[in-house]
Amino acid sequence: MSAIETIPAAASTQDELYQDAARTFGAALERLARAYEADPEVRRDLLQDIHVALWRSFEGFDGRCSTRTWIYRVAHNVAASHVMQQRRTRSQALVGLEELENLPDAASGQPAAERSQALDRLLQLIQRLKPLDRHVILSYLEGLDAASIAEITGLSPGNVATKIHRIKAVLARQFQTRGTQP
Amino acid sequence: MTDSSQTDPNQTNSNQAQQLWQSQPVEDIKMSADVIRRRAGKFERRIFWRNLREYVSSLVAAVLFAYFFATTHALLFRIAYALFIAGLGWVVLQLHRKGSARSMPAAMGSLTCLQFFRAELVRQRDIVSNVWPWYLAPLVPGFVVLTVGYAVARPAGLAAAGWLDAVVAVLFLLVWKMNQRAARCLQRMIDELSAAENQPQSGGM
Repeated sequence: MSAIETIPAAASTQDELYQDAARTFGAALERLARAYEADPEVRRDLLQDIHVALWRSFEGFDGRCSTRTWIYRVAHNVAASHVMQQRRTRSQALVGLEELENLPDAASGQPAAERSQALDRLLQLIQRLKPLDRHVILSYLEGLDAASIAEITGLSPGNVATKIHRIKAVLARQFQTRGTQP
Repeated sequence: MTDSSQTDPNQTNSNQAQQLWQSQPVEDIKMSADVIRRRAGKFERRIFWRNLREYVSSLVAAVLFAYFFATTHALLFRIAYALFIAGLGWVVLQLHRKGSARSMPAAMGSLTCLQFFRAELVRQRDIVSNVWPWYLAPLVPGFVVLTVGYAVARPAGLAAAGWLDAVVAVLFLLVWKMNQRAARCLQRMIDELSAAENQPQSGGM
């Protein structure tokens, strides 16, 4: 699906806004939850929390930003809270994009023959990132442009561009054409 | 995204990653507005019980001190237990105000990820950076009066009371040190966010 779809202007009430958001971005929200939580049970809870937060948030939706920006902000903010809570109980340290560039790749040299294997690798890569870098890479993977990512994250467009450049380099190293068969 | 994949191998690989990501199978979970409302109510109840669990240990201690207060006849001991109860009440009140577990703010969508994340980190840092005034100090008067009470009532037991005070002091110091460490860690994360926000070409979080 294309993540740059927008919600019809006719949807005006909280319930309608939510239903349209869930219909249009439901799959993207599921992928987002998958990137923030590996455990399927906890992930289901996280996804439901995101939906609840989204529904609640539409009560105060004032149209100052696009519905897409609003939805991604809510979803990423709920997910970031989840990461902060989980950080206390999980030992693996999160890293930034620049550190990811320098880290040796565990699967380096092994072509990702299977699609699911490539997806698993991509998920593992994303789940190692600090929340803000995770926001950027997820938005990038969903097909959002730098200006939209900047609006969602609050980073400057220049900073987002730098991060996207790094993301491309990391993805190129991890998902060389010979291995990935999307 | 731009379509420069014909010439840029990095672009080709990242386009493939985008395609791989967007085409992954999803369960397509649907939640009606009624289900969401029920879930929202459940969420609020979860927050309520989580907060209650945090207060329960203080409440149990307060009930115990209330029992000691009611059964002792020594004035200084009664004052000490009353001070403990008041101190615990203050701690619970502050825990509630500072909200270690709270419901999600409704205005979440109006904040960028940077603003939201930093506000959360600042809130957590402020809670742990100075635990003396709201978490540790309120219990000190009770301990002091209790020690004085022992000195007056049973001079022979003063040494034991002194040891107990020393153990409590060490525990307080440990709690303070651990919180200071957590506050420094949170401050580093806040600084990284500020750097990411202020330096257009920087890395950051």
